[in-house]
Parts: sequence; C-alpha cells; structure tokens
Amino acid sequence: MSILTWARTRSPWLIHFNAGACNACDIEVVAALTPRFDVERFGGLIKGTPRHADVMVVSGSVPRKIKDRLKRIYDQMPEPKFVVAVGNCAISGGVFQDCYNVMEGVDKVIPVNAFVPGCPPKPEAILDGVVKLLVSAGY
Amino acid sequence: MSDRQFVIPIGPQHPALKEPTSFYFTVDGETVVDVEPRIGYNHRGIEKAMESRNYIQNLYITERVCGICSNAHQTAYTGAVEEAGGIQIPERAKYIRVFFHELERIHSHLLWLGVAAHEIGFDTMFYYVWRDRELVMDLLEEISGNRVNYAIPTVGGVRRDLQKDKFPKWHKILDALAERTNYYIKVASTEQTILDRAIGVGYLSKEDMIRLSGVGPNARSSGVPCDTRKTAPYLLYDEIPFEHIHVDNGDVLGQVLVRVLETLESVKICKWVLDHIPDGEITTKFNPLSKIQEGEAAYIVEAQRGELIHYTISDGRNMPYRHKIRAPTLANIPSVVERLKGGYIADIPIVLAGIDPCFSCTDRMAFYDEGKDKSWAWDGEQLRRHGLEWYKK
Amino acid sequence: MSIEEQINVVKDLVNEFGEDSVYDTKNPRLYKAFATVKREKLRDAVKYLKESHGFVHIITITGVDMKDRYELVYHLRSGGFNLNLKVPVPKDDPKVPSITDILNGAILYEREVNDLLGVFPEGHPDPKRLVLDYDWPEEIHPLRKEWDVQTIREKVDGKKWGKDVE
Repeated sequence: MSILTWARTRSPWLIHFNAGACNACDIEVVAALTPRFDVERFGGLIKGTPRHADVMVVSGSVPRKIKDRLKRIYDQMPEPKFVVAVGNCAISGGVFQDCYNVMEGVDKVIPVNAFVPGCPPKPEAILDGVVKLLVSAGY
Repeated sequence: MSDRQFVIPIGPQHPALKEPTSFYFTVDGETVVDVEPRIGYNHRGIEKAMESRNYIQNLYITERVCGICSNAHQTAYTGAVEEAGGIQIPERAKYIRVFFHELERIHSHLLWLGVAAHEIGFDTMFYYVWRDRELVMDLLEEISGNRVNYAIPTVGGVRRDLQKDKFPKWHKILDALAERTNYYIKVASTEQTILDRAIGVGYLSKEDMIRLSGVGPNARSSGVPCDTRKTAPYLLYDEIPFEHIHVDNGDVLGQVLVRVLETLESVKICKWVLDHIPDGEITTKFNPLSKIQEGEAAYIVEAQRGELIHYTISDGRNMPYRHKIRAPTLANIPSVVERLKGGYIADIPIVLAGIDPCFSCTDRMAFYDEGKDKSWAWDGEQLRRHGLEWYKK
Repeated sequence: MSIEEQINVVKDLVNEFGEDSVYDTKNPRLYKAFATVKREKLRDAVKYLKESHGFVHIITITGVDMKDRYELVYHLRSGGFNLNLKVPVPKDDPKVPSITDILNGAILYEREVNDLLGVFPEGHPDPKRLVLDYDWPEEIHPLRKEWDVQTIREKVDGKKWGKDVE
C-alpha cells in the first residue's frame, strides 16, 4: 500500500458534530477520549475545525434548521473524508420518527461510511466503529 | 450602535446551550458590547409527538429530551402523570427514585467540572475528573444495565430493584467519591491558575438574577436561595437532612463552588437512602391501555441545571391532551447574556460554560468590530487559544 | 408556607379584582394553585401579585389549543408556592398583552408561544421567530390541532413521506 494510505489510516483526525442530538451520544464520544477508553492509541485526535479533519463523527436526528449547516461542514472537509453516524437517531431517526421537524437520518443529507447503532452506544462500540472504518480503508 | 448585523456561519456546536446554538456578538476592541442568542437547532417537535402516543410510549421520548438529565425528566413526567391521575406509589419506589436522582446529579456535576477545566485550559484536571466519574458510571451500569438512559421510573413506581447484599460495596464506592470530591474542592479554592481565570469573571448581582428569573446553580452562585428540594419539597426531600448550598460570589468561582459542594451533599443523601430504605413492592399496575382521569397537574423538580417543570392536561383517554416541558437552560439564557456584556472576548468560553449548557464543543462565531469596522469569524478552538494567550500576558 | 396562607393569597387576588375577572380557583395541594383570569385584567393581576405577594419569578408560559378557544397558562412562583394563571383567548383574535416590562424573564417564552401556537404578544420589544426554521411558512403553527404531521410534511416538503405512507 502506498505511503500516503499508511500515514492517513494511522492518524485519523476526528471532528465531532452534534446535529440536533440529545447529548447522550456526545458524552459517550467525549468519554472515548478519557484515559479509560483512549482514542489516542489509534492516532486519533479531536480537532475543532473541519479543515483539519479526516473523519467526521455525527450524532443526532437532523432537524430542519441544521440540515444546511451539516452539508456546509461536510463540504469544508478536504478529501479523502469519511463519515461515521453514531446512535440510532443518526441512522433512522430513533424514537423521533413521525415528528414534524425531523429529517430521519444523516444519510438523507450526506453520504455515510459507517453506522454505529445503540442508544447511546458504549464508547468501546464507537471506537470499534472507527477502527473497522480504518481497516476497510486499508489499515 | 449601528444595526448592521450579518449572517453568522453556524458551524459545529457552540460552548453554549443544550442545543447547537449561535450568538451574535457586537464588540468594540476586546470588549463585548451586545449579545443576541439564536436557538432552535435542536427543535424536534417533541410536544406535538407526545399527543399521539400513550403514556408508556411517552416515557421513552421524555428520556431522550436530554441525555445528561434523562432521569430528572422521567421523574418529573411520572410525577405529573401520577398527580393528574391520583395514583399513589409505594414507599420503596420513592427511595429508589431519590437514589437515582442524586446519582445522576453527581455524574452531571463531575462532567461539568471536567469540561470547565478544559475551557480554562487545565486539561490535566479534565482527565482526572472524568476518570473519577467512571466510578459513578460503573455503579449505574451495575444496577440498571446502561451508562446513560437508565429507564428506572415508570408510571406507578420503578422498574428495577436494589439488591441488599451489594450495599456494602456501594457504600465503599460512595466513600471513595466523597474523598475525591474533597480533593477537588481544595484544588478549586486554592489553585492560583483557576482563581485567576474565575474570580470577578462574568459577575451578576443578586437583584439582576432575580429580575431575569435565573434558576439552578447559576442563580445560587449569586446568592438566590432557590433549590426546589428545600423550598417546595417533593418525593422524600422534607425528611432527608441536607444543606441548602448558596454562595455570594456571583462570578465563575461561585458556580464552581456551588456545584462541587452540591456533589458532596448528594453523596450524603445517597448513603442515607441506602441506610433507611424500607422493604416492600416497587410498582403498582399500569399498562399502555390504562386511562388517566380528566384533570391537569404541574410538577416541578430540581434537575441538575435548575428547576424543571412538566405540565400535563388529560381528557380521560390513555394519551395526554397536552404536555409541556420547560428545561432549565432556557430560563438561564437572559442571565448569561447579561453576564457577557462588558467582559472580554477571552472570557466568553468559560462564562458560557459556567451556566452548564448540556454539552460544549466548538462553533463558529462572527465578530463585528465597531471601532475598526471589520469583521472576522473564529471557531471555538481558536477562541479558547486566544483566551489562554491573553491571560499569559 | 402553610395551606391556609396559600388559600389566603388566592382569596386576596379574587377580592382585589372581583369574581367576574378572576374565577374558577382551585387549591389541589400544598404549593400548587390554579386560577382563571380575564385577558383584559392580566397585566394588573400580575403587577398586583408581584408587588403585594412577592411573585417575582416566572417559570414558563404554556399555550394550549382547547377546541373552542386558545388558553395561555402563566406559571408564577414566590418562594415555594406555584400559582398558575389561565387566560382564555378567542380563536378569531389571537393576541395577548405582553408582560415583559413587569417580569423581564418572560421575554423568550412569549416568543415561543407566538411561534408555535400563533398568539401574538402586543408590546413585546422583539417578537421574532424563536425555534422554527427561517424559511418555515408563516401560516403553519404546529401546536394547533388542525395540523398533523403528514399535512405539515405535505405543505413544507411538497409530498407526504414516512413509515406509514407508501
């Protein structure tokens, strides 16, 4: 495999975006940074801006007001980029199906590479999802 | 002040409220002159959805209004429905509900302490506090099966019981938590790096706080005695001995002190519950087809961030006619706007995080400098770094 | 506060404004009371409660669509005592006087009721949209009973969609 792929898959920089979630998935994503679960052993760092990031971690059923912002953040990431949808709400709307303001699922707005189900998924499951994504990209 | 406000690129979420939010700041040099909040990015249409689901299905929706205060929402929802329907719950169920209410308060205040330390730039304390928070998460997972969204209260009682033979182990965990919390009280009140960033920052007086109807630890840090557990006790709080914590500082240091001292009180309440819990049943019969008589009820609880109200109107069916939820962070927005005015840009992250919005990450804010008539956009990470460098000088 | 003091506060309110403006009072239990107030006397009642009995804190404002009228419920608090004032509003004249200058904390709640139910607060300093999208159609107020989920989706997205629709 080329040296670029080797370098990219061993240092995935993450950005986390809350697209209208209840915050349960978000605290599990932040808990994945803490010493017990530790995403840094895979080379991952949480960055504050999409222009430095390779992988976007999205949670939340998407309300209408935030749909355009999600698309804009996705467009600001440089290629190659990947998206991980965390939680039941990001996959299909979760408990909020049939609510008038909800577009059910992130894949109605941007293309998604990996889904991590759960409400909320445990931090180990989120790390598992990110690692499986890296393996499929050529780790 | 000119009224040339322009579009803020709203990016990832903000060091602000429960929902991803945007703020319009009007600045003059380094000082903030005016703030306008814009909310609604997290509006999912829950109140309308609750009108077409029965009372047991609504339990699952109320749990997911907010992931950090999910148990507080369920306690208030079941309290309102039981009051409207005249349902009495068994004594043992009240003790179990109080136990989880206080455990969730401990986990939420420790979460806030770590995030506030991260906003100041004290990352070591962030990692220490979240490691200690894992003690509480393990305890919750052992009893209920999930770290978040425990689903313990139900209409008529609680779902799961506490096993008596595990009580000595839980007492040891609670004692370890109390010892770590005492260590953090010592750090918060004597460590010079924290005191420099926290004393005098974002000051709001007691009269202004009352005028703007602030709630929760945000109001208690300015000296307003407004804890619902003491002023209008619900469940068992008129029998349990604990202190009413409020301080007079009015700034960010007051917020830190109120929350850490409340964590100690919650540990004491949990230990009291484990020592005094009676035997008995844990639930009365209630199934998805049960009807609630006509009536209405308003139920107020003290959630981690302040007072939370659930108001329900029933018309005799097994679905509510109208259910209204008002979460405490919405009541704290006017007071945080006042706190920000007159301060430096470098203090924005810690003042916004000080009211404990549900989760804080990053966002884009646009700045419009009146004096030099130029505008630029920053995100939360750049804002944090600007704050750290400003204070190094 | 004991339950006698609570009953006295509500009786004072009724005596001050008369039986035809403040009626239908209930005291279900300690710390809770309900009363219905006519729309024209709302501002005077709130001012009287704030100055004479210490009701300086407003918890929230609820908007309800009853079948023949709208009803706004103002939840006020003084210490531990929670008093709820209901104000009936006719459906063909959905307006209510604003109380933002008496109780500053009500500024966001009145905007929310205007957004979701369509009852306009007269005299509010800044009655913009609060929660709904910027290009949401003006005439759809989701909490009204005539709008259900599929009708809203048809109006906003152009078609019905979801798990019940084929």
